[in-house]
Amino acid sequence: MRQHDDTEDMSRDETLERVVQELRRPLRVNASLFDARVMDEVMRAPSGVGGRFESLLRPRTFRVSPLIALAAGMLFAVSIAGSILYVLPSRSRGAPSARGAQSEVARAVSGSPIVEFGFVAPHASSVALVGDFNNWDPKATPLRAASTGGVWSVEVPIQPGRHLYAFVVDGTVWRPDPAAPQATGEDFGEPNSALTVADPGMR
Amino acid sequence: MTRSTLSMFALALALGAPAALRAQDARLDSRLDARTREAVVTIIDSARGVGVPSEPLVQKALEGASKHADGARILTAVRMLARELGDARAALGAASSDAEVIAGASALHAGIAPAALSKMRASRARGSLTVALAVLSDLVARGVPGDTATTVISALTGAGAQDAELLRFQQGVERDIAQGATPAAALGVRAQGAFPAGAPRRTP
Repeated sequence: MRQHDDTEDMSRDETLERVVQELRRPLRVNASLFDARVMDEVMRAPSGVGGRFESLLRPRTFRVSPLIALAAGMLFAVSIAGSILYVLPSRSRGAPSARGAQSEVARAVSGSPIVEFGFVAPHASSVALVGDFNNWDPKATPLRAASTGGVWSVEVPIQPGRHLYAFVVDGTVWRPDPAAPQATGEDFGEPNSALTVADPGMR
Repeated sequence: MTRSTLSMFALALALGAPAALRAQDARLDSRLDARTREAVVTIIDSARGVGVPSEPLVQKALEGASKHADGARILTAVRMLARELGDARAALGAASSDAEVIAGASALHAGIAPAALSKMRASRARGSLTVALAVLSDLVARGVPGDTATTVISALTGAGAQDAELLRFQQGVERDIAQGATPAAALGVRAQGAFPAGAPRRTP
């Protein structure tokens, strides 16, 4: 029995030796292929954030020529400057132009102050500004409608001084500005509104 | 210069003068009938001859045309405005700017007397009166008695009020009227605010 035991022990030792040898055998790995496979598996795994937009979140590398980069930079700078120039006058407008109003907002490049005119006409198909600054021509200065609310508005450079004006709704109906002083007298049966534009250069 | 050359020169002048006149009033050509246009141009030329600004007259005619007024009504309005512009020029002085004359004519149209314009001029001998006159017109249009409005605005300009202050004053009066105050009371309250010591100072 003891001999049997010795033979059995020798057999176990050989088996153990083969296992050890196998474990000690160096494993050959192609590093680049290994990295690529790992990253492939990582990207294939559900992230829980990107979902169907995962491709949009994936970082990409773009190659841009210096000329295009310069043009894009200038475009960005111009858009930023334009936004600032737009926002500053908007803040100085004061009263909103709801229900018709005019307010001097800024000084135009031409030297004439810019005046914003507004008129509320939810059911109108067109609103035009007419006055002694545009030859009372209903086609000269159409107002633009806001996307909602029926508010129509336009900004016009106007020389300093006193002016008369009105709105023409749908090409036929004359309306004074309800938020502005009404001019005295109705020479032609339709009331006008009065606008006073101060000259910033004078007292 | 030969006789034929002189004849050609005279002919050119004869043909050129009406052409220049027509060119000056091209805006009227398509908006007024021929008879009304000729009468309006005559009024404009007369006004121009005495130093009255012509652009307001052109605009008055165009306003009438856009409002589909008949020729007689347009002529009446243009004549009246020409007279008011002339009176305003006379009351404010020959050195007055066109903008002042136009604002002065608005004040006259609102019922202000020419003497009140002279009073306003005296209250601010230097500097533009355009805004002051416009404020005066608008206050009267809101129902403020003309003599009261003239006194208060003259006092404000005489006290050195700036245009922006005059416009704020007007807005305050209009706001009070919109909230139910009578025009005279609204002006009085705002005037007391502008002159806390009491009545407006008399202008020199």
